[in-house]
Amino acid sequence: MAVEFNNVAPAMPACWRKETKTHKFCPGCGHGIVLKALGEAIDELGIQDKVIFSVDIGCCLLAIDFFNCDTVQTHHGRTNAVCAGVKRATPDKIVIAYMGDGGGYAIGSQHLVNCAARNEKITSILVNNTNYGMTGGQMAPTTLPGQKTETSPYGRSVEQQGEPTHGPEMVAAMAGQGAYVARGTVAKPKQLKNYLKKALQAQLNGSGFSFVEALSTCPTNWATNAQKTWAFLENEMQAEYPVGEFKVPEEGGQTK
Amino acid sequence: MRDFKSVMTENGKGKFYLFTELCKGCGLCIEKCPKHTIGWSERVGIYGAPTVEPGHGEEDCIACKTCQTVCPDCAIMIEKIK
Ligand SMILES: Cc1ncc(C[n+]2csc(CCOP(=O)(O)OP(=O)(O)O)c2C)c(N)n1
Ligand code: SF4
Ligand code: SF4
Ligand code: SF4
Ligand SMILES: [Mg+2]
Repeated sequence: MAVEFNNVAPAMPACWRKETKTHKFCPGCGHGIVLKALGEAIDELGIQDKVIFSVDIGCCLLAIDFFNCDTVQTHHGRTNAVCAGVKRATPDKIVIAYMGDGGGYAIGSQHLVNCAARNEKITSILVNNTNYGMTGGQMAPTTLPGQKTETSPYGRSVEQQGEPTHGPEMVAAMAGQGAYVARGTVAKPKQLKNYLKKALQAQLNGSGFSFVEALSTCPTNWATNAQKTWAFLENEMQAEYPVGEFKVPEEGGQTK
Repeated sequence: MRDFKSVMTENGKGKFYLFTELCKGCGLCIEKCPKHTIGWSERVGIYGAPTVEPGHGEEDCIACKTCQTVCPDCAIMIEKIK
């Protein structure tokens, strides 16, 4: 039997801004799962009042009013660079850059590369949904070989467009000691939350750049139902993009 | 804190709260329930799509909270029946 209530609080992270919920992402969009994991990580570390959250252009910008935290909106691809500046100006804040795969690996790749090279003490979170979600599902650096998108109607050709970009592998190879680099998936939200917590902890310790890629879903542009959404993420994406930690700060290493 | 309307259905080991103002009817939870007990409800959610409820399979809820964990919209809360 069903009973109706008006006064039961949903199990939402405390730092989520309740007034703006339900959030603006499409039904089944993985951004919601990533931001739930991030919200729980912020709550568990007790850092809500220190966080400055920064969103790129892309569907990530739908999170501009998502948290009860100071939030910055940047130009497409510039979130890592803006966050590096914000952190240098206010080193006591916990600065979080939030972007898509188009923003981080295509138009903004130089900022990701140089933030990694300089070991900027920020946390960068990149949502990999294998396309440019906001603009209607065009091919991105992360589009899988053979995957059909608006701009690869016959499937991505490795011959013409190259292999997909493996971001965490690249960042791990570039970043110095004390960096934290991982790839999680919205199919394993608890593991993703733990990766995000470790990334934020690296920033709290001032040990180095922290970067987490989250494999995510975009049912709207993939044109998938719930079953096919999970299948594409867990079978095809996770086969191309291994989940795990690629670099962790060394025990007793370079910490502030 | 802002309150949201919810519908609670008892099933097996769990009290299944569904927040109609949060559920977008994506169906991700249905696919992940290990007991296949979640199905479409006659109540519609925020976007006019059907919401979900337990009690649709052969087995009952074991209060594992998988559905709550994977919902991108925090539209499900499971309370274990002690
Ligand atoms: C300088 C600039 N170039 C292009 C655009 C158009 N544009 C808006 S969002 C977007 C792509 C977003 O894709 P992604 O970063 O993967 O984020 P998603 O929407 O998939 O989460 C583009 C190309 C823009 N806003 N600014
Ligand atoms: S277009 Fe894709 S990434 Fe953007 S909100 Fe919709 S499902 Fe999410
Ligand atoms: S409860 Fe959540 S996961 Fe299930 S259909 Fe509704 S919005 Fe989707
Ligand atoms: S708590 Fe577990 S068993 Fe119960 S409905 Fe949710 S996923 Fe299914
Ligand atoms: Mg994208």
